[in-house]
Amino acid sequence: MNTVKRRWVPYFFLSPYLILYVAFGFIPILFSLYISLTNWDGISGKTFVGLDNYKFLFNPDSYFFKSVGNTMLFVALTLPLQIIIGLGIATLLYSKWVKWKAFFQLINFLPYIVTPVAVGLMFNLLFDWQAGFVNKLLLQLGVIDEGIYWLGDPFYARMVIVLMLSWKGFGYTMIFYLAGLANIPKDLNEAAEVDGATFLQTFWSITLPLLKPVTVFIVITGIIGGLQLLEEPMLLLGGAGMGSSTAVIGGPDRCCLTTVWNMYDTAYGSTTRYGLGAAIAYGLCLIIAVFSFLGARFQRGDQG
Amino acid sequence: MSSYVRTTAGTVGIAIISIFALLPFYIMMIMGTYQNEDLFQKIVLVPGNYLLQNLQTVADSRFDLVYVNSLIVSIASTVLSVFVSAFAGFAFAKHEFKYKKKIFAGVLLTMMIPGQLGLVAYVIEMRSLGLSGTLVPLILPWMANAFGVFWMTQFIRGAVPTEVLESARMDGCSDIGVFFRIVLAFIYPAITTLSLLVFLWSWNNYLLPLIMINKPELFTIPLGINSLGTAYRTDLAAQILGLTLGTLPVLILFAIGSKSFIRGLTAGSVKG
Repeated sequence: MNTVKRRWVPYFFLSPYLILYVAFGFIPILFSLYISLTNWDGISGKTFVGLDNYKFLFNPDSYFFKSVGNTMLFVALTLPLQIIIGLGIATLLYSKWVKWKAFFQLINFLPYIVTPVAVGLMFNLLFDWQAGFVNKLLLQLGVIDEGIYWLGDPFYARMVIVLMLSWKGFGYTMIFYLAGLANIPKDLNEAAEVDGATFLQTFWSITLPLLKPVTVFIVITGIIGGLQLLEEPMLLLGGAGMGSSTAVIGGPDRCCLTTVWNMYDTAYGSTTRYGLGAAIAYGLCLIIAVFSFLGARFQRGDQG
Repeated sequence: MSSYVRTTAGTVGIAIISIFALLPFYIMMIMGTYQNEDLFQKIVLVPGNYLLQNLQTVADSRFDLVYVNSLIVSIASTVLSVFVSAFAGFAFAKHEFKYKKKIFAGVLLTMMIPGQLGLVAYVIEMRSLGLSGTLVPLILPWMANAFGVFWMTQFIRGAVPTEVLESARMDGCSDIGVFFRIVLAFIYPAITTLSLLVFLWSWNNYLLPLIMINKPELFTIPLGINSLGTAYRTDLAAQILGLTLGTLPVLILFAIGSKSFIRGLTAGSVKG
């Protein structure tokens, strides 16, 4: 009797998650797929338009590929910086040459936990043309004669975003590298030391290869997370109180319009085209799927 | 090079990098203690004397209400997410059932799906369920947290000895009793780490509240910070103070929990 009763046990523990996921995760995803095949503003009736929304993504007016390109540029410039700085700090913190490790570890992790909205606004204030700290400092030092319009120029605006995202993200990579370093057997490094290897030699030929799984993990999650970038550029370029309005979409020449920002603006901002918004979301998901697939293959091919 | 010199050099190096990590916070906090007009005049490096007046401005905008909303959403999301995830993790890690491998593969797959995929329809679903005037839509997505399920499965598989579970059952402990009395005690580090993460994510969540929440009395911190800007367009100082105050709870939580957070990450993610 006991075994008959116990067959229900796993389903009992599993059911809250499964029911919640189907109700609030899976059904919306399916329904969004249907919406992406319609023309709908949420008020009047839906009209079925087939793949028209997806075809429109290839039209420059949708800014879809422009926004994907912008987002990928940010990921491509930011991720290597985050990895190099994060790995460097983790190595230093893990070495025996640093005191007060826990304290420095926490401080360097702090930028990662700050609300992204606050990060965007903070850098908006720092790089403000008139009241910003950066311009005032450069003027004071005599480096420039008049304030630079950081957020009004496409190149500068992109550089500020790269700086902002690197600042925010290096603590995250640091934490994972610290975890990875802790899992490397100590005697490996000691053996190398006994054999007369220098610190750099040990680092290149023992530590780095053993950290490869961590690096792959950081690169994959970094790309997936980075492609969903929204708040930081939105608040940086929209500034206080304008983040949700239509004042500035995507910064100068939309050079900093990210894919999710584009989706938000299409469905809930400048226009209320739910169908096109859902199509943008599916387009983004497809791109992320390609990267996940490539990442998984890369990882597997490595082990084989 | 003596080890003393090395230690000093290493520590100084880290300290310099840490200054860069902290600089934006510092400037932000300092700016919150000045009068708005002063911010446009000079570089401010030491605290000013306008903190109380700025606090008053922030308090007048009912920032306390925004705080309470965020606390409700984040605490509810954290507690419910951890429970649902630990329940499912227990099923995957310590039980056998039909299609287990396939369902678990499905959970892994959903971890890869960006949260925005079902967003448009989710908003409509919440409206038609009559939940759009409440905070519930901001909590539900965290309850079905695939990452949490994966995390708990990995941890329970490694940290909870099956023999202990068996002997408790022999002694007549019910399955629910086994979960609450034994499993929970073993997975304490995983609970801490997951709690901190879910709290952080839900506290910082912006897109969903931005779309779902229209009433100012339901605003959460990220929306509240933003609306401080609208109400006090010219008052940078008060707004910066709002930013600082909105960031404070997660800073404190991570300062307290950072050690066990990192221990949890070390044990869970990289090996798994």
